[in-house]
Amino acid sequence: MIINRDMVGGISAVLIGILYLYFATQIRASALDDSFGPGGMPRAYGILMVLLGLIITVGGLIKAIREKSSTSTRKEWAGQGNRVLWAAGLLAIGVVYLLIVPVAGYAIAIGLLLAATGIYQGSGLTWKIGLVALGGAAALWAIFVLLLGVSMPPGVFHLF
Amino acid sequence: METILLSFEALANPAIFVAAMMGVTWGILGGAMPGISPSITMALLLPFTYAMEPTSAIVLLASTYVGAEYGGSIPAILIRTPGTNAAAATVIDGYEMNRQGKAGLALGISLYSGVLGSLFGLTMLVLLSKPLASVALAFTPPAYFALGILGLSVIATLSGDNLFKGLVAALLGLMIATIGTDPVTGGNRFTFGSSDLLSGIKPVMIMVGLFAMSELLMQAADRSPSKQVKSSPRITFPDLKLAKRLLKPQAIGASIGTFEGVMPGAGGTIASFMSYNEARRWSRHKDEFGKGSPEGIAAPETANNAVAETALVPLLSFGIPGSNSTAILLGGFLIHGIVPGPMLFQRSGEVVYGLYGGLLVAAISLLFIGMLMLPVCIWLVNRPRPYLSAFIFALIMSGIFSINNSLFDLSIMMAAGVVGFFMRMLKFPFLPAVLGLVLGYLVESNFRRSLVLSGDDYSIFLSDKVSLGLLVLAAVFILGSIGKRLLDFLRKPSLSGTKGDMA
Repeated sequence: MIINRDMVGGISAVLIGILYLYFATQIRASALDDSFGPGGMPRAYGILMVLLGLIITVGGLIKAIREKSSTSTRKEWAGQGNRVLWAAGLLAIGVVYLLIVPVAGYAIAIGLLLAATGIYQGSGLTWKIGLVALGGAAALWAIFVLLLGVSMPPGVFHLF
Repeated sequence: METILLSFEALANPAIFVAAMMGVTWGILGGAMPGISPSITMALLLPFTYAMEPTSAIVLLASTYVGAEYGGSIPAILIRTPGTNAAAATVIDGYEMNRQGKAGLALGISLYSGVLGSLFGLTMLVLLSKPLASVALAFTPPAYFALGILGLSVIATLSGDNLFKGLVAALLGLMIATIGTDPVTGGNRFTFGSSDLLSGIKPVMIMVGLFAMSELLMQAADRSPSKQVKSSPRITFPDLKLAKRLLKPQAIGASIGTFEGVMPGAGGTIASFMSYNEARRWSRHKDEFGKGSPEGIAAPETANNAVAETALVPLLSFGIPGSNSTAILLGGFLIHGIVPGPMLFQRSGEVVYGLYGGLLVAAISLLFIGMLMLPVCIWLVNRPRPYLSAFIFALIMSGIFSINNSLFDLSIMMAAGVVGFFMRMLKFPFLPAVLGLVLGYLVESNFRRSLVLSGDDYSIFLSDKVSLGLLVLAAVFILGSIGKRLLDFLRKPSLSGTKGDMA
């Protein structure tokens, strides 16, 4: 029997529900509480989540037993590991941006983000991506900092 | 009739024209930036209004609101990123049309429907302000709770093939909505000692993560060289045949938008989702919804633009700002020493008539300014995919940061993107999550307030006539959707799985 998407989704929902329910029971009672209390609705959501997760898991289990010999089920997870890794690569670019933007400042960091994402998505290391990074960073800086007055991290520029 | 004549008279002032057009242009720009909400776009203009003459200042702010509500649909259609909360429903069919190379038509429909919605909402505002104002006053906490439940009843339709997965997604949204300060007691919930979580998680962060960030992650994951479909950089308006077909969803959107707009706190998001749901229910082309249906754009866009006008009813009649945007507008009034409320028409009638005239100019100029700006937007999204992905990533990182000037918000958005990526992989729909997120606070706070008011008597939800009516309507919608699912399952079980992408 192959574990299908419904089973993984259902089990994930059950785990999320249990975790949420645990924290919902930790919500402190206060003298100001109404009869339902701040934990009432979260507890209801948690219980419902666990129940629905179980229904989806059982549905997935029945589906897996019925379709155990079908080719589509066997191919369900083919190549998914690589896909997750490629997606994680892009996420890593975002995490690096979060780490460098307070130090390097918005203008430099956003330029680097543009260049890194473009190259990662297949543009190649050409003068064009450099131009896109420079032009894009300048345009975004002009829109958010000059036009909209957003206080972006100045980074090294605050020294000047 | 006198009101209409006086509003037209106000148009003799060229400053109102200029203020309306500048407001619409600024609003479209702000609304099109993910993370920059209509209220932020308006707030940025507040300092400039100090030196302006009162009528022009109010027109400038109100026109910005109109432009921003429309502007949110541009990134929703072009890059799967709702610029405003209300534009989330437009993503479904708008982005699908874009993927089919019909971005020009999708934007044309959204623009044309937005203008119609604005004009209809303005007509309702001018003609029916007084009767509509009494609707706003009839809404008590039980009625607001019932309104939230009515909004959540749409989940059954937005769940795609698997209703249980839709419900799990909705619960996920409701759970995220509980993070922050408790709406009744003020205690902290799920904040884990973090001050960043005290004010909760803004829906736009989760929406941008679920829609845009997850799309970027999917594109990164899919390394096969797929052909990018490019759209003609021209705005195409619907032909007569399509325009006739769009009349029904536009009428649905206009009616729901008017109703939702006059209720403080309801907002454009519920209106656009409910309009989408109803347009689908009453459509002859139900199967096209979720696969690039023009009706799926027309209904929500008409609704959220009608809301932008009718949301002024409680503000002008009672001085009640029903949303952040109308609160900013209230600030604009107060800056000039004008107090909205029952005496507004007697004390500052000229400002109100000027506002009506200015909103008419704003609604019409939305069409022309949109036509000038949209081809540039289409040109931008026709750039090669690596450059486009890089620009979208940089844009959403900049936009989300600008909400609270917080890097923590960016990590929340990226986490939502990861959740969205796995939801797509495991075939869970997004839209119920968005609905749960937006309505969670409304439902919980009003449910508990009602119980406090009634001394824990649950019959308050049935004794309040508005609440009862809305709950009955919600029950009809839910049972109808479940009944239809059952019928479809019994009639043609082999066709399950053919529905459009509701993620």
